[in-house]
Amino acid sequence: MMPTDGHSIVDTLKVRDGRDVEEVVRAAIANEQPLEIIGHGTKRTIGQPMATNAVLDVSALNAVSSYEPNELIITAQSGAPLADVQSLIDSKNQQFAFEPIDTSKLLGVYGNGTIGGMIGAGLAGPRRIRAGGARDHLLGAHAVSGFGDGFKTGGKVVKNVTGYDLCKLLTGSWGTLAVMTEVTLKVMPKPESERTLVLSGLDDLTANRAMTTALGSPFDVSGAAHLPNSAFRPATGALAEFAAQGRAVTLLRLEGIAASVADRAGSLVKALASFGTVEMLQDAASAAIWSAIRDVEPFAASGALGAWPVWRIVCPPASGGALGQVLARETGGDMIYDWGGGLIWAALPPKPDALAALVRQRVEAAGGHGSLIRASEETRRNVDVFHPQPSGIAALSERVRHSFDPKVILNRGRMVRGAPA
Amino acid sequence: MAIMMPAADQAVLGRRGEIVAALRAIVPGEGVIDSAAEMLAYESDGLTAYRQPPMVVVLPDTTEQVSQVLKYCFEHGIKVVPRGSGTSLSGGALPLVDGVLLGLGKFKRIREIDFDNRVVVTEPGVTNLAISQAVAHAGFYYAPDPSSQIACSIGGNVAENSGGVHCLKYGMTTNNVLGCEIVLMSGEILRIGGKAAENSGYDLMGIITGSEGLLGVITEITVRILQKPETARALMVGFAEVEAAGECVARIIGAGIIPGGMEMMDKPAIHAAEAFVHAGYPLDVEALLIIELDGPSVEVDELIKRVEAIAQGCGSTTCQISTSEAERNLFWAGRKAAFPAVGRISPDYLCMDGTIPRGALPKALARIRDLSAKYDLRVANVFHAGDGNLHPLILYDANKPGEIERAEAFGADILRACVEFGGVLTGEHGVGIEKRDLMDEMFSEADLNQQQRLKCAFDAQGLLNPGKVFPTLHRCAELGRMHVHAGQLAFPDLPRF
Repeated sequence: MMPTDGHSIVDTLKVRDGRDVEEVVRAAIANEQPLEIIGHGTKRTIGQPMATNAVLDVSALNAVSSYEPNELIITAQSGAPLADVQSLIDSKNQQFAFEPIDTSKLLGVYGNGTIGGMIGAGLAGPRRIRAGGARDHLLGAHAVSGFGDGFKTGGKVVKNVTGYDLCKLLTGSWGTLAVMTEVTLKVMPKPESERTLVLSGLDDLTANRAMTTALGSPFDVSGAAHLPNSAFRPATGALAEFAAQGRAVTLLRLEGIAASVADRAGSLVKALASFGTVEMLQDAASAAIWSAIRDVEPFAASGALGAWPVWRIVCPPASGGALGQVLARETGGDMIYDWGGGLIWAALPPKPDALAALVRQRVEAAGGHGSLIRASEETRRNVDVFHPQPSGIAALSERVRHSFDPKVILNRGRMVRGAPA
Repeated sequence: MAIMMPAADQAVLGRRGEIVAALRAIVPGEGVIDSAAEMLAYESDGLTAYRQPPMVVVLPDTTEQVSQVLKYCFEHGIKVVPRGSGTSLSGGALPLVDGVLLGLGKFKRIREIDFDNRVVVTEPGVTNLAISQAVAHAGFYYAPDPSSQIACSIGGNVAENSGGVHCLKYGMTTNNVLGCEIVLMSGEILRIGGKAAENSGYDLMGIITGSEGLLGVITEITVRILQKPETARALMVGFAEVEAAGECVARIIGAGIIPGGMEMMDKPAIHAAEAFVHAGYPLDVEALLIIELDGPSVEVDELIKRVEAIAQGCGSTTCQISTSEAERNLFWAGRKAAFPAVGRISPDYLCMDGTIPRGALPKALARIRDLSAKYDLRVANVFHAGDGNLHPLILYDANKPGEIERAEAFGADILRACVEFGGVLTGEHGVGIEKRDLMDEMFSEADLNQQQRLKCAFDAQGLLNPGKVFPTLHRCAELGRMHVHAGQLAFPDLPRF
């Protein structure tokens, strides 16, 4: 069986509608031919190398089926380009509140992928702490299971408890449960203005405390990130000024109507007085900073750390500072903290195993989990890309996967190393 | 009982004495209830039209006991119905004649309050309101606020994915829970998630939330808590036409404003509520909107002005703005008491719970009026207008022959209309037994099969809360059968690369 991870030449089937998807999956079952599911293929290098030998390409399912700004929903086919959908909702002053990550700079690929890829990966940006993740914004989906059967789940309204919420499972399942053909997403109004408060020179532990103070305040902080001083940072992009000044920065974002943002900024400055003086960034400058953090630009594939493996670590937010500090000290790596300490992007000096055992031990001790978001195919073949689960959860997760795709037709082996091939 | 439940297992009923004894060995003392008189308290939940005493009630107080009870029932093929506070409005906790009713009422302890990580770790029997009360001294609260929050348990909230008045802005239960300890039907104890923002692997917490007690029994929950907004104020706006009120809701959302709550009542609901609580509601309007804005004072003041202008632009006939906390609470008093208020003007009522796209409100209300005439039953409408969740209250008298059947048929027609208008059967009360037989109005056989296959991953013998949610029960082996398609990966007409 030929792996597709190295992008060898394999059959690529470009489906035109949900019926095509059913036909392709049914034929794949009959022929025991596992399929790799792709939209634009921008996140193909995330996950274990797969044991698939044909590609099901949904990029032609690219229509926006309906967009109703007053209902706060949009329905789009899974292959709709994310950039196009985002500019459409932006024209009505709306957005996906969970700030989907654009992984193209981090992974060194072109393009921002599709709506289906956004949900399949489920990677949310800085506003996750306030607005929730991709899982919280997927309202309904049409998909084709590994039985070759089309099914729908959820609906086209924001409030719905009819039947099991399969949307939650589809989000972040990396195409291993079903091939989504159409999704309905919640959209939210864009804030009228934003401001970022900048604290300087804090060590990781103190910064973590400052972020905890801010997030525990009533001032509705919608972003809390910390960039330690680092010898590695490229002096380009929105974060260049900080890098050039050679100082750690702790960033706190406030969004909303202008009067409210100004009022809360004043209150938050007072609440943070013990952490030093605060500088303020407004609107466009503030927005640029947060998109650079969202997209993990300091670890861009084209930058100084481009060859380093990158971990995405999620942990209880108040323990992030201590965890990151230990990881930096023990590995010589570089950390970026988001979600008030609850998300750590860790770039580690290259090692064949990406220091997986060490990272996992430290992360588990802090009550978190880590996935290896960027690494060579060789490395990903030899380490668990997604955090290994305790045996009971692993067994249940496998039964859940089996309930959608018993023949392991869809993205075989992407989420679990050593899965049946 | 108008709804068919799974056939009673006579062999299990024949072993009742033995089963009671086995449960007593696991849960000593008064934790096992088998007398008919004492079991009466458990014979129904908030959907009181349906009653069925269970075979036996067991009230464990440790996770280990829950595990042993489930393991025993699993090994002996005995059905189990989990129950929290019993406030379900869809019959989710309706007992089975041959089933063990597993009550979580003794799980009443908050285990940990962690302000730094902004979470509370709690046992499932703690009430929704008690969580907010436990963190109020530090300015925090738990956001989802179902109207039964004084009584309903957080475990039940997770099972039903409960909503509330404020979920337009702050989300439902599923958006506010991070982890749980769950016991599977086999007795296996699993911990899912924790204090981190998201779990690794498949989102099992997400699928358990709202699964109506069919996938497992929750014994611990980690919820997110938020800081209370600095202030909240409400507007009470009357309209001469329902359409104008609907337009006002759409324009507020369209202007980028997400109020903390946005509720609508129609004339019969306004009159019933006013007669009950004397909140000063205008009686000459066809629709009343209560719109609450929360946040810093400067923000609330600004948004109040904007909303007032929008309402005037939509032809509002009355508009009052709260100037004190007492006045804000008075505006809400009538809305929050709407159900008991309706209970005063009718011997019985059925509360429906469909969701529609907001834009479909006028035609949905017109349809409800027509159906009211057809079935010759009165109806009062309260409505979470911000998120399109309708609560028509159908008034009937159970003592008049045939009225409950007419009321149920009326309710089913309303829910069919919700689906027809692009909405769903239930926005926050759950399917339970109440909407079970309407599921195929919304879902195809393939849709329901996939949901039931998932159930098989958790409970392959179908012993946990059977007869709820799904209109037709299938064996897992049957659901897992593959279509066998002869054929090759040919597709001459598909583009290839």
